[in-house]
Amino acid sequence: MSATRHVDVAIVGAGPAGLAAGVAARQEGARSVVVFERDWEPGGILQQCIHPGFGLHTFGEELTGPEYVHRYVTRAREAGVEFDLNTMVFQLDKPAPKDGDKDDEDENENKVEKNVTFWTMRPERGIERIEAKSLVLAMGCRERPAGALGIAGSRPSGVYTAGTAQRFVNMEGLMPGTKVAIMGTGDIGLIMARRMLLEGADVVGVFEIMPWVSGLRRNIAQCLDDFGIPYYLNHSVRELRGRGRLEGVGVVEVGPDRRPIPGSEQFVACDTLLLAVGLIPENELSRMAGIEIEPLTGGPVVNEFMQTSEACVFAAGNVVVVYDLVDFVSRQGERAGTYAARYALGRLEKTKREFKVVPGNNIRILSPQILTGEDDVTVYLRVGTPVEGKCRLYAEPGLFSQNLRYARPGEMNEIKLSASKLKSLAPDVTSVTIGLEIL
Amino acid sequence: MRRSAVSDDRDYDVIVIGAGISGGTIARELSRYTLRTAVLERAWDIPYGASRANSSMIHGGFDDKPGTEKARFCPEGNRMYRTLHEELDFKYRNCGSYVCAIGPEEERHLELLLGYGKANGVSGVEIVSGDRLRSREPNASLEITAALWSPTAAIVNNFEASLAFIDNARANGVDLFMETEVTGLLFSEDGSRMRGVSTKRGDFNGKVVVNAAGVNSDLISRMAGDDSFTILPTKGEYFIFDKSVGHMVDSFFFSCPSEKGKGVTVARTADENLLIGPTSVVQDDRENRNTTQPGLEEVFDGASRLVPNIPRNMAITNFAGVRANSKNGDFHIKALDRPRGFVNVAGIKSPGFTSAPAIAVHVVDMIKESLGDLVKFEPNPKFTPERRHMPRFSELPMEERERLAKTDPRWGQIVCRCESVTEAQVVEAIRRGARTVSGVKLWVRPGTGRCQGGFCAPRVVEILARELGVSPLEITRHGEDSYMLTGETKERERL
Repeated sequence: MSATRHVDVAIVGAGPAGLAAGVAARQEGARSVVVFERDWEPGGILQQCIHPGFGLHTFGEELTGPEYVHRYVTRAREAGVEFDLNTMVFQLDKPAPKDGDKDDEDENENKVEKNVTFWTMRPERGIERIEAKSLVLAMGCRERPAGALGIAGSRPSGVYTAGTAQRFVNMEGLMPGTKVAIMGTGDIGLIMARRMLLEGADVVGVFEIMPWVSGLRRNIAQCLDDFGIPYYLNHSVRELRGRGRLEGVGVVEVGPDRRPIPGSEQFVACDTLLLAVGLIPENELSRMAGIEIEPLTGGPVVNEFMQTSEACVFAAGNVVVVYDLVDFVSRQGERAGTYAARYALGRLEKTKREFKVVPGNNIRILSPQILTGEDDVTVYLRVGTPVEGKCRLYAEPGLFSQNLRYARPGEMNEIKLSASKLKSLAPDVTSVTIGLEIL
Repeated sequence: MRRSAVSDDRDYDVIVIGAGISGGTIARELSRYTLRTAVLERAWDIPYGASRANSSMIHGGFDDKPGTEKARFCPEGNRMYRTLHEELDFKYRNCGSYVCAIGPEEERHLELLLGYGKANGVSGVEIVSGDRLRSREPNASLEITAALWSPTAAIVNNFEASLAFIDNARANGVDLFMETEVTGLLFSEDGSRMRGVSTKRGDFNGKVVVNAAGVNSDLISRMAGDDSFTILPTKGEYFIFDKSVGHMVDSFFFSCPSEKGKGVTVARTADENLLIGPTSVVQDDRENRNTTQPGLEEVFDGASRLVPNIPRNMAITNFAGVRANSKNGDFHIKALDRPRGFVNVAGIKSPGFTSAPAIAVHVVDMIKESLGDLVKFEPNPKFTPERRHMPRFSELPMEERERLAKTDPRWGQIVCRCESVTEAQVVEAIRRGARTVSGVKLWVRPGTGRCQGGFCAPRVVEILARELGVSPLEITRHGEDSYMLTGETKERERL
């Protein structure tokens, strides 16, 4: 086994979160900043997102996925970020006290520094053990497969997640089907409905089990409505038919309890079913390292430094919570990179106060879940059920209040909280409640 | 599996119809001799029928009434697997099993099974209290009042095991023909003896024909004029769950059996997934392996009676198998008097997978004794009982991974993230006969993990196309018209 390699800030994943973290870590003064990426190219999933709509917040213009990510790759290379490409991080050890510190248990707990060690593999170099002063998890997310949905029937070919289909079409130039049904209204599914249609496929419909869409409204307008692709709310795919290739799907209408309405079954002929039924943060490595995962977001519990339950491990992007816009991902990546660098340089003190951010009325998920009051912060959140009318988003006690014209689960909301306000809260306040009320 | 080159010479001593666990174990037993043996399989991938979709259980042998064929072969099969898994290198875990009783009536049934176990020569079987069970298996239901513990029960990777027997048989000289469905039998002029079989790929001459055609074995038997048994195709549906919940149980959990079968079981597979099922529904259709919403509900409810709180959202897929249940419920293993040379190995339903190696030894002895005048049994001097599966990268120690990656960079290229499968394993699976996306999955597991092929499917298609020297458009999921892709994009067409 080769000797251990030492780096200051290690980053797992060269998608938008990892790239932004790399740039920020270098700017903050970390010497060796290395991004480990399993693909041959940096960029992550944005490489296959060839449609426009990226970067409106960050660059003030509309870019395609590859254009957006190219700008960050250029920035990262200019900033001196190193890339280990075609390199898979396959094991992350639970951070343990550094050698020599082990006997210091009696001393102040704050002083016990921990190492992050992990293992990488790449074809030409084999296996390597890396030791980093801090680590940023930026592995992104993966698509929810069909299995958990309990779709019955046969097991034909032609059932893909929307992202797999996107890879076939945009990266390999291969068509996964000719007559397409789509299950779920996740953004990738909407994008692929349009993409398949433009490539000459027949898109027979989009079926959403909920009474509302889960993707962005603008994608409903630009990808479905503009192309005359029908979508059906309160509908679900329950059955696959076809022995070899998919021949069609059994679709049912569901009632308010999400159970099928008897007699509503219909057969929809198609040779392809694309699944756009949700994204799951990819936290296998985080779990290996014993990092606390929040069941609702599926990502690590973080504070406003994007620091996880292990002080030396930070996380950013869709591995933490699935965001709507890449601009949010880049912003959070930057934050994680900045603080990971400070930690590596010994400039991140253990904080004195901690506030737990509690989801209140009609809030389904939020991140970060812990605040220290040491920095201004944006809390990202999703509401549980849509409110189509005037409503008020608030953070109590008395931190934030904003009236909204609507609030929808498919469109993330942001709450900006200032450090000074948090710091001035009474000493007995230990939590902040965020909620939405109808006006 | 790759088709053996079809030579003009299709003269065989023994033809085995079906390459499931029965055909595979018999082929391997036959390969101990210098016989010319052919195995004919109608599917594209092995295993395909009931050997593919079952509980992958190696039963202790206490379920079956003493005196039946099942009671005769199951305990012996169980003993054989204890060494076979090492010899043939397939995954095997001696997990033990519990038959769980809820209430006094079911407890009485445990007494009956205990008696069967003793009569069938199964060692170590005992009845334990519900509390004792829960002290070993904390997730077992509080409702369970007693359980029958069988320490010799085990679980295997049934894909690996099925492939291992046929792989070893081939290495020892047996010819395998895939996509070769038998359409008729050939007899001597007076009809007294077997002469061979006709298939969709032409005729094969053979003096002895072993019918191990699983769910279709009664149809083949009728071609030989024997209608002494009937197969009742019996569908069983299953759920398989993510490895992160596999630890919910250590051993194999049975419900108390009813007239419907052994009931729903809960198990941790040899690969650490949680497996629940099956249902048991007799149907006319021999091919219908569709799961159904009511069936899946029944599985989940049945499993929850044994182990409550199985998280449904951690299911990674569901599947169904059709078992070759014979009408009288027992195995049907017999050589016909007329035509001589025809041997039925039929009705090999649960505990068929367990019994198969013992049945195979018996079948070969039977051929030796009663048909020795037709085919000559001489020891195969080149017979090698051992074979190796390709290294399982995810289970190797770090040093071994390092060593492999240095010998061939494809050992350092991960194709499937969920199961940590490398390109080298995929290439080796194709070299040993996998030709479809499912075929590769059966050999080395890409696509069996939590993403269900979302990440690896495009890569497996690419590697299959490259290694087989065909266009990606020709790659199928499981043969026939199960194409993965339907064409090229406009841009690629222009290029």
